Amino acid sequence: MQVVLNWGRRYSLWVFNFGLACCAIEFISASMARHDFIRLGVIPFAPGPRQSDLMVVSGTVTDKMAPAIRRLYDQMPEPKYVISFGACSNSGGPYWDSYCVTKGVDQLIPVDVYVPGCPPRPEALLHGIVTLQEQIAAETPGQARSRSGSRYADRPVTAGEVTRDLVAPPAQD
Amino acid sequence: MSGVRGLLRGLGTTARTLTRRAHTAQYPHTEPTLPERSRGVIALLEENCTSCMLCARECPDWCITIDSHKETLPAQTEGGRERSHNVLDRFDIDFSLCMYCGICIEVCPFDALFWAPDFAYAEGDIRNLLHDKERLGTFMASVPESALPTAEEKG
Amino acid sequence: MSSRDVDVTLGAAGVGGLSTTEMVLNIGPQHPATHGVLRLRITADGERITAAEPVIGYMHRGAEKLFEVRDYRQIMVLANRHDWLSAFNNEVGVALTVEHLLEMEVPERATWARTLLCELGRVLNHLMFLGSYPHELGAITPMFYSFREREEIQAVMEEYSGGRMHFMATRVGGLLHDLPEGWLDRVDAAVSTVRSRLPDLTGLVLGNEILQGRTRGIGVLDLDTVLAYGVSGPIARASGLDVDLRRDEPYLAYGELFGEDGPGRVVTREAGDCYARLDVLVEQIQVSLDLVEACTARLRDLGPGPISSRLPKKLKVPAGEHYCASENPLGLNGYYLVSRGDTVPHRLKLRSASFNNVQVLREMLPGTVVADMVAILGSMFFVVGDIDK
Repeated sequence: MQVVLNWGRRYSLWVFNFGLACCAIEFISASMARHDFIRLGVIPFAPGPRQSDLMVVSGTVTDKMAPAIRRLYDQMPEPKYVISFGACSNSGGPYWDSYCVTKGVDQLIPVDVYVPGCPPRPEALLHGIVTLQEQIAAETPGQARSRSGSRYADRPVTAGEVTRDLVAPPAQD
Repeated sequence: MSGVRGLLRGLGTTARTLTRRAHTAQYPHTEPTLPERSRGVIALLEENCTSCMLCARECPDWCITIDSHKETLPAQTEGGRERSHNVLDRFDIDFSLCMYCGICIEVCPFDALFWAPDFAYAEGDIRNLLHDKERLGTFMASVPESALPTAEEKG
Repeated sequence: MSSRDVDVTLGAAGVGGLSTTEMVLNIGPQHPATHGVLRLRITADGERITAAEPVIGYMHRGAEKLFEVRDYRQIMVLANRHDWLSAFNNEVGVALTVEHLLEMEVPERATWARTLLCELGRVLNHLMFLGSYPHELGAITPMFYSFREREEIQAVMEEYSGGRMHFMATRVGGLLHDLPEGWLDRVDAAVSTVRSRLPDLTGLVLGNEILQGRTRGIGVLDLDTVLAYGVSGPIARASGLDVDLRRDEPYLAYGELFGEDGPGRVVTREAGDCYARLDVLVEQIQVSLDLVEACTARLRDLGPGPISSRLPKKLKVPAGEHYCASENPLGLNGYYLVSRGDTVPHRLKLRSASFNNVQVLREMLPGTVVADMVAILGSMFFVVGDIDK
């Protein structure tokens, strides 16, 4: 039973591409004929977050974008997986010292696999997918997810809470 | 009828493509052949590193951490001077921040850093993307021959 | 476009009869074609759009502020990321600005190699839009063909620079690497492969009646609006504005390429509709491929030589200010550098093409129907990072 469930989850990952920046182009590259991740059972035709299992966050997450990401993640049905694709979504990457960039998408949503690169090659995404599939195979359905120990996994947060108010202007003398 | 020509032409293109071999690269089954300059991962040749910190300073997002301490070698000959050299304690590259620009490799004056074409090091935990000097050393095996310093350059 | 992208909220604007209730429609910020995140706030009266306002800032990453704490080599790394589809052109723009302020001479070989790589970058950029625009209109197939060609060109770019998208090959004073052995032949081979297979793609796109029906006469942008909003690049040229900095204010080796008997020519159309904009892209690819071939021929003639000039260990740019503009694939890209004699710039302002090109949507969209909105939006060929920086 467990084997069948995991096998099913593993090879029919309907992916929802949260394409934000440069990495989205490499994501599209990976979905095109040369690299073709449908071979691995990743199906890029999810009509929206409500019908998808896997979210690939590719690109810089800005503070303005953060609520939207959280909301779309909340809309995805369980079981759901997240791949963080590229340096920007891993940790802010090149823009980590910028005033308006979220330092990693894992501050908003739990991430299962981090793919390094700026942008990563399409093959690196395929490797990330294979890594994720191995993680899924090791899961016990119904039990706490393997990632539940990871950061921010159980944080009961809604999109409204990650919306930050405007920073007040500096006080005038 | 005028609306059919473009459609037929499109179908013709599809049919022609159908007869050609697919150009799909079967990645997990066959490894891709990558060019020598491919920027996959940074490899560290530890014995060449003098912990001069140039790479750590020049990195555009400062993702390299270096710790070292000084060790003094006793004089080799009678009456000679003691020689001190730096010993590398820690050389970490945070690949969750790295921008793969190659500046560190360009500035390294002692040929201690190289590009290796490996790309398959996605991790389930972001902390594992911080590669220490042992892990960076393992990538030396895949550095292309032409990038390594030749014997005469080493002097 | 799927339903997830349309967040429908009923506005309280319309009063009166049944049919005149106005509706405020939010398009985005997740853009259906995923070249970034642009949000449009549209007021629609039934099917007809009465007002449209682009809401930008979802991709604002503060690059200009980050430039101020990075030296000129480190700036290149960020500069090629704001418009990720024309990475090499951005790098060269920054390098040219710094070199002008330094009054530095760049080796001839480096200039030609830069021109070559810029034109390859332009082909990559245009191919991307040639694939994504039909995709937005509902045709998936052209994307596969355009990415097949992109992979060919990315392969030679990677062989030269090591990167597939962000090449980081330009340095102040030249280029980082010398050209690899036999690389020029492989560039020529890639160019002829792309050229031979391009009719597949253009036939699917331009020859298709459905696409023509959805783009001809749609979203007409007249010359006055182009001038008023500072629209540039292929979009402006599709409206008949005959401006191309490669010819009009030559930089790199363009002066010769666009001179008498040069292979370069400026592509213009008069119609100003979506189809004309797409047509300009297709022909610009051909022109760029011609330019690439001219560059490889010239580089062969030049033979081996220096590809970079020597720099001091600490590169300090003398105090002063300089504005330099280049013709990026998407339009004019300006770099305004203010230096105070330090290793880092005091200010480096980017004038990015997409910012102006997207503003004009406010003028173009009112009066059109919602179904055409996607066609018009896609035909503005923007990169959101280039809007927000």
